[in-house]
Amino acid sequence: LNAAPERAPRQQIRFLPSPAPGGGGAVELVAASVPVLADHPLVRGPRFRKLKIGAGHRLDVKASGVFVLGIGHGNKLLTDLYNCHLTKVYTVGGLFGKATDDFSDTGNLIEKTTFDHITREKLERILAVIQGTNQKALLMYSNIDMKTQEAYELAVKGLIRPMGKSPPIITAIRCLQFALPEFQLEIHCLHETQQYLRKVVHEIGLELKSSAVCTQVRRTRDGVFTVDDALPRTQWNLQNVQEAIRNCQLKVETELEKTLA
Amino acid sequence: VAMAGLARRLLCRGFCVPARPPSTRQLREADEAAPVFQYAGKAARRKDRVFVWGFSYSGALGIPSFVKPDAGWKKPRRIQPTPYRLETEDKISSAACGYGFTLLASNTRDITKVWGMGLNKDSQLGFQRSRRDQTKGYEYVLEPSPIPLPLEKPQQTRVLQVSCGRAHSLVLTDSEGVFTMGNNSYGQCGRKVVEDEIYSGSHLIHQLKEFDSRVVQVVCGQDHSLFRTKKGSVYACGWGADGQTGLGHYNITSVPTKLNGDIAGVNIIQVSSYGDCCLAVSDEGDVFGWGNSEYLQLASVTETTQVNVPRHLPFKIGKVKEAACGGTGNIVLTEEGNVFVWGYGILGKGPNLTETAEPEMIPPSLFGWSDFSPDTRVAHVRCGLSQFAALTNRGELFVWGKNLRGCLGTGRMEDQYFPWRVTVPGEVVDVACGVDHMVSMVRSFT
Repeated sequence: LNAAPERAPRQQIRFLPSPAPGGGGAVELVAASVPVLADHPLVRGPRFRKLKIGAGHRLDVKASGVFVLGIGHGNKLLTDLYNCHLTKVYTVGGLFGKATDDFSDTGNLIEKTTFDHITREKLERILAVIQGTNQKALLMYSNIDMKTQEAYELAVKGLIRPMGKSPPIITAIRCLQFALPEFQLEIHCLHETQQYLRKVVHEIGLELKSSAVCTQVRRTRDGVFTVDDALPRTQWNLQNVQEAIRNCQLKVETELEKTLA
Repeated sequence: VAMAGLARRLLCRGFCVPARPPSTRQLREADEAAPVFQYAGKAARRKDRVFVWGFSYSGALGIPSFVKPDAGWKKPRRIQPTPYRLETEDKISSAACGYGFTLLASNTRDITKVWGMGLNKDSQLGFQRSRRDQTKGYEYVLEPSPIPLPLEKPQQTRVLQVSCGRAHSLVLTDSEGVFTMGNNSYGQCGRKVVEDEIYSGSHLIHQLKEFDSRVVQVVCGQDHSLFRTKKGSVYACGWGADGQTGLGHYNITSVPTKLNGDIAGVNIIQVSSYGDCCLAVSDEGDVFGWGNSEYLQLASVTETTQVNVPRHLPFKIGKVKEAACGGTGNIVLTEEGNVFVWGYGILGKGPNLTETAEPEMIPPSLFGWSDFSPDTRVAHVRCGLSQFAALTNRGELFVWGKNLRGCLGTGRMEDQYFPWRVTVPGEVVDVACGVDHMVSMVRSFT
């Protein structure tokens, strides 16, 4: 960053003595624009010494995916994005037949169960119920009086969302792949933690009269940022970061305007 | 190192080794050595259950400990605000809620096929012999008690459907016609009105057999009865002051008589009624209505408040699959899965819509339809006196309307102005709505 061309030094108007146009030793004051010495790079030193980087929604050590970072003045946008309460999309992989203490496949084994009786139909039924109960929680925690006409209008459009603190809520969940004993789910949620998603996988296993552990948690979307906009670790250099910021700027602005207006 | 004296001495002497996090090999060995538990065997089937909720002091919920607690710590529960499981021995195939009483029927060939609970002041649950006094009957039945039907072949006939009105009930069998019991002051039981008849503690159960073909559906209005036969014709008897018998007059009818008017010759596939208004759906998707129209239920065809002849309701909403009539509002379900409401009261489109004569659609997004589940649609609609219920094809139950004594089952006592999902631990197969309570037949998930 420091190697990039800097802006021109400030200019100031000073009255400098210079010899008069006519001869003789008379000295006149002539106005001239000279650069301010305090702005000289040798005086001032490198422009950027530290960068302030802020993080968006937390991501576990065992999880992977989109992680939003704010740089410098972008940190102010981070709080606004948090207040928008947009949904995040996760791809969660699970395995039937085992139950561990921390709900993931690297924990201590507690129990092993059979799983041949599980079918995709049963799983979809359980997912429909989870979605339904969370839909109810969505309406309840949004703190809108159910008796008003505007509550009805928002409910029809599906725009009712809790705009304050609330327990984790899953807005949509569906099964992407099902191959016993493995399965993959796509979960859209609000205010969640990755451990909560692993717990959900465990509870799905319990409902199906078996047990399940979570093998993979990957965040594919965080508000407006998707996997396509994200930079993998190998591409963290100045040009890519600047380009990414430029691409996302418009999206972020429109989203903030729409929600906070 | 902060350790107790003994542990430290053992460690220093080399008698024990400090624990390390288990290596991959150890994890794999522990994994393979662990026993496998089986929770669901080959014979694991989905179980059928019955859930009830609403006002319990009439005994209509069938749980005696709500009315008369049988343990010291239990308190009488006047209202059950959320679904509560009712234990039944047989699988219940049909249920109906009346005004303070409930009938449950099973499809079995056993001797007891129908159970009833709730109010029995007009013998709408048959004669329930009291244990204290063998000559009298119970006026309130708190538990599902078998109803003795005078069947000719009790071990062969099956009960297809039951229906309950204000103070009378109908039981439909597959080969022995329709049995009626309860109040007959308006002829709603299909027999001649006897003056000053005492209905309480009566043993009389009347049997109706003479129809043009087999009866396939029975429906009870508040004080009248409707019978739909296989040929598609509708018969009615009972109170007719609002024209709900549809026979062209406003008098009492005590013998089931065939209806004419706009439904003459039309093959009717479904009839519905609960208050004083009636709706019928034909096989081509047309809706016919008759009866009370004080709440704009039939205002689209006539200005009069009582219609005593069935009239075709020319709605342009598509082919209608199912219709349900409530006390003041009506609801229909079309073939595409859209739900339309009209009438008066809390119709389900917010607090602003209180009455309309033309059907208004309720957006499917309120029933769980979204971009992620575009196949979710409403499969059945049911009506209570002032509340509505809709069942989706995913087995979810949505209710809305006036929350009279907790009958909606949402857990709150406030009225619900748009469809709200009821949390039931299972897939809801059918629901019956009453005045202040509801009964649902549910299958467990796995």
